[in-house]
Amino acid sequence: MTEVLSPLTVDDAIALLVEHDEAMPLAGGATLIAMRNASLVEPSHLVSLDRIAELRGIDRTADGTIRIGAMTRHCDTAACAELTGSLHVLRRAAGMIANRVVRNMGTMGGAVANADPAADYLPALACCDATLEIAGPEGRRSLSIHDYVDDWYETALGEGEIITAIMLPAPVEAPSAYRKIARVSGDYATASCAMALDPDGQGLRVAIGACGPGPLRDRAGEDALRGKLHDPAALAEFAGRLVALADPVDDVRGSAEYRLRLIPRLVASVLSELAPQKETA
Amino acid sequence: MMVKKVLHSLTLNGEEVQVATAAGATLLQTLREDLRILSSKRGCNQGVCGACTVLVDGTPVRACLTLTARCEGHAVQTMEGMDGDRVMATLQRHMVQSGGVQCGFCTGGVLISARDLLEADPTPSREAVKTALSGNICRCTGYRTIVDAVCGAAEELSQ
Amino acid sequence: MSLDQPEPIFVGGTVGQSVAKTDSLEKVQGRAEYIADLYRPGMLHGAILASPHAHARIRGYDLSEAMQAPGVVAIITGDDVGEGRMGAFIKDEHAIAKGKVLYVGEPVAAVAARTEEEARHACRLIKVDYEELPAVLSPEEGLARDAPILHEHLAEYIKVFDAGSDGNLCSRTELSEGDVDAAWADCDVIVEGEYTTQPQAHVSMEPCGALAEVDAAGRVTLWSANQSVFRVQANVCESLGLPMSRLRSLTPRVGAGFGNKMEPHIQPITVALAMKAMRPVKLILSREEDFEMVRARHPYRVRMKTGAKSDGTLVARECEVLVECGAFADDSPGVMGYSLLMCGGPYRIPHMKASGKLVYTNKLRFGAFRGFGNPQVLFAGEQQIDQIGEKLGLDPFTIRRRNLLRRGDQWFVGPRIGSNGLGRCLDAVEQAAKGARADGSPRNFGLAVTAHISGLLGTGAIVRMLEDGTISLNTGATDIGQGSDTVLAQICAEELKLPFDQVAVASPDTDGSPYNWGTTASRVTYTTGRAVKAAAKKVVDQAMDHAAEILDCDVADLELREGGRIGRHGSNTDVTFAQISGRAHWAAGGPLVGSETLVFDEPTHDPKRAIALGLPFPRIGVFSFAALGVDVDVDDTSGQVSVHEAWSAADVGRAINPRLVEVQLHGGFVQGLGYSLYEEMVWDGARLANPSLMDYKVPTARDVPDAIHTFIIEDPDPTGPFGAKGAGEIGLNAAPGAIANAVARATGARHAHLPLTGERVLAGMLDPGALQD
Repeated sequence: MTEVLSPLTVDDAIALLVEHDEAMPLAGGATLIAMRNASLVEPSHLVSLDRIAELRGIDRTADGTIRIGAMTRHCDTAACAELTGSLHVLRRAAGMIANRVVRNMGTMGGAVANADPAADYLPALACCDATLEIAGPEGRRSLSIHDYVDDWYETALGEGEIITAIMLPAPVEAPSAYRKIARVSGDYATASCAMALDPDGQGLRVAIGACGPGPLRDRAGEDALRGKLHDPAALAEFAGRLVALADPVDDVRGSAEYRLRLIPRLVASVLSELAPQKETA
Repeated sequence: MMVKKVLHSLTLNGEEVQVATAAGATLLQTLREDLRILSSKRGCNQGVCGACTVLVDGTPVRACLTLTARCEGHAVQTMEGMDGDRVMATLQRHMVQSGGVQCGFCTGGVLISARDLLEADPTPSREAVKTALSGNICRCTGYRTIVDAVCGAAEELSQ
Repeated sequence: MSLDQPEPIFVGGTVGQSVAKTDSLEKVQGRAEYIADLYRPGMLHGAILASPHAHARIRGYDLSEAMQAPGVVAIITGDDVGEGRMGAFIKDEHAIAKGKVLYVGEPVAAVAARTEEEARHACRLIKVDYEELPAVLSPEEGLARDAPILHEHLAEYIKVFDAGSDGNLCSRTELSEGDVDAAWADCDVIVEGEYTTQPQAHVSMEPCGALAEVDAAGRVTLWSANQSVFRVQANVCESLGLPMSRLRSLTPRVGAGFGNKMEPHIQPITVALAMKAMRPVKLILSREEDFEMVRARHPYRVRMKTGAKSDGTLVARECEVLVECGAFADDSPGVMGYSLLMCGGPYRIPHMKASGKLVYTNKLRFGAFRGFGNPQVLFAGEQQIDQIGEKLGLDPFTIRRRNLLRRGDQWFVGPRIGSNGLGRCLDAVEQAAKGARADGSPRNFGLAVTAHISGLLGTGAIVRMLEDGTISLNTGATDIGQGSDTVLAQICAEELKLPFDQVAVASPDTDGSPYNWGTTASRVTYTTGRAVKAAAKKVVDQAMDHAAEILDCDVADLELREGGRIGRHGSNTDVTFAQISGRAHWAAGGPLVGSETLVFDEPTHDPKRAIALGLPFPRIGVFSFAALGVDVDVDDTSGQVSVHEAWSAADVGRAINPRLVEVQLHGGFVQGLGYSLYEEMVWDGARLANPSLMDYKVPTARDVPDAIHTFIIEDPDPTGPFGAKGAGEIGLNAAPGAIANAVARATGARHAHLPLTGERVLAGMLDPGALQD
């Protein structure tokens, strides 16, 4: 049995989380309620975030930065016209989560907080160089997505902290895409790949999902690859660096070995979608 | 473990109802155990199968993943409240005629998802229908006759 | 109700017409009642405590804390049930764990409380003192010399056939005809291999459940999700030591079965709880429990060898299977025996040898699942046929046509084939699938053929003419959603020349229905249909006698006319069923009732032809046939296979309701597609690692081809009702074989292990030679 509390402000929500030892924040519920139904979590209180105005909406700020309220549902992200160019990858990822009805429920904040390594947002956000806005008993802070995941299902979120928003740099005109390998439509990823090209088409940003506790990103490797996207040896070396970073597990979706095998293949596949190699005469 | 009941007010199939339900209950529990609204089915209780799908404020959601407390002041609609809905009636007739109904356990959720699709896209492609129904598992039909039914209904409704 | 009138649905409606199922309307309106939808006054809710151990002795229980928990009315454990044991082939299973637990998830105790939440909460307060024992987690382990023994008293259990049980060997079967060992020398080409197949979960969308109530005299009424009210009655009464007359078994609508609701699930526990609580108790499994407690398709290890002459004529096949049984025999001896009977496929192979061992393990029971052992052996056999064809330069159609069994031939071990439209099935698939795809690209085509029986055991029908001349049909066959109520009503209406909507079908009830073994083995249309037709004929005969008296003529001068009328040849005057039935009810002869019971009684084994040891089905059934073609895509990046197009042709004798046959073919194919490509129950040690729809994936609408073409071939069976044979399983059997053959065509790699996951197929693409030749 769980008591449901419905605060109207972020501060009240945090106060309730601090007050009740076994309270959990409830975003869309798509994962947390499923876990509670299966008795995998047994919170005494659920602090429902659905009435907090601050957590809603997608806004473009004056400098072009995009702020996605933590309670933004996947369906809204998937349909958001602001997410163009380099941020299109996030729309694509949102549109591949589960299925149409679940996308009406699940939220970006909830999904990020849950930090399932096989879920779709984290690689897409890592590819976008997103920043998380976090509120907690000690006040507010911002955190780079790259510093967010500590270990399997462990994040930098402290006791009583919640994600209030996800901040994205202003989109630039450059193609981006997301691909996931999953057993069936709507499943969590066996492995996934979020990729955005640089505006000049000479470089890329890549994040791999489901092959470690958090998304794999190798910024030094990306720098080294600049200008050599279509050089097979350079690309192979880059993919090899991602493979070296990976720490996959064996699970019902696939073996660790398969996941390692998929990383270079996914990179090649998404790259060929974003930057088809021109036919040479 | 004493069961604490909480009183909630919501609109159910167009009528204001007050219901005392276990604290923290899902909408699926409240509908079935407290209100005897039985068209919403517990197929998995994890939001995967789609057999519990209902409308909250006109949007399809999983009743098993929705807390009743969250429905306070909102409008819940189930298959029991679909009388007079032209789109639903057309879908139902096509499902019956196409053979899209086998064991029937998934059927209500399938129809609610399909109705939502036709509201958003009155002339969907077969691929769009399959995508929209991909969150409703059917183990009997192989989906073919369900897709036929939804496309047939769309065609009839758009004439 | 927003549909003004149901009338458009029931127009027409006799044999050969695709009338809508009689339960369709209530289902689209959300008004159909399944077991979870039933409530009784004063009803309690049940919940089950599952074993955390794979193998342990139960030293004792401490129920004190649980009994004090809020809402709790009664708790049962193994101490509350007697020594009775149930089982279809070997009676090895108590109503609930008693003395020992044999798998993780096995019910150990059950609670009845005011609400399901209270019952589940109380279960967690039950303390069980276990002495852990070493577990057997594979058949190989089970056969090891020092293996821990699951059933120490196996020798004393009642067995309904010569099982040859010993230690953890639950049963063994050996079949042979011709001289296989000598025949290899006559073969120009031989292929052999070892194959493994995985456990598959049924995933009926409705989890299992039951509701039991005890009346003042102590008689039990039991509703449950089932495929046979009679098997429910037998299993509950055997395991609880009740006379069968003390239990009435009924059925609400059933949310599909596929085999997992045929033999018992938690009906005996629910009855025991209701008897102890003296209140009605409803117990509905969660999806996780349904995965962990009920049953699943058997994992197989198949060693197969096939030899042929250089012209493609098959000469010999040897097949040896090792089958994991799980903790209880359930239908497993039948599944293994049947798979051996079917392992030659629908081919003339003069020299055949098939043997198998079924081994107890500390996992949930494996049991009946659509296909019943056939898909596993067919996965091996149909690949070998293709491989022989490849070696000899014969295409998949030619090599098969060269070897097909024909009408009048005897199947392996002896059954005579009454009708066989398989050649026409192959023609239909070849014609439709030939050439390239619409966009001009070549197909990755794979073919497999199969046969399946329909028949088995007792069945009956009672046809009653009501006072107004309409009909009540009662067969005891549970309609699990596939539409047997509709099909049987069509058969009845056809025989009586009545409109379909004038036949009402009674819900199965052990108090009032004639015996029906069950909705299983693709048998209802064939066996129950035979009984219905014969019972309806008796009503017609009785009506004829009345009409002859009313019209003062000879029965020979009379004819049955459309719409429930009987008249004289060459005359317009006639009498209606209403007139006849009114006379019968109130004036002469008594009400018109036709009843028929039958049992399929043709022997399986022809001792002049074959040797059969441990054959679990001494009488089996008639043969349906099918050919399945698939065209697959293989994703370059992941190795994942998707089916682009499929062609399923089935000889079902006569399609009583063609639409319902098509849906069986669609649904069977898609269930087979999931089995072929990704469905797999995975154990982490002794614990099932993926008992949820989150982790165990079945195909969604997006994962199946839109183009599943079906072809109904009708080669009427001489004994079938209007020629009909079964259609329930034949659409699934060939899927793994056809898909594996298509994958081999696409990638050059042969696969010996199911499912054909992206992971396996990619490995094959990268190194085709590393896999099985």
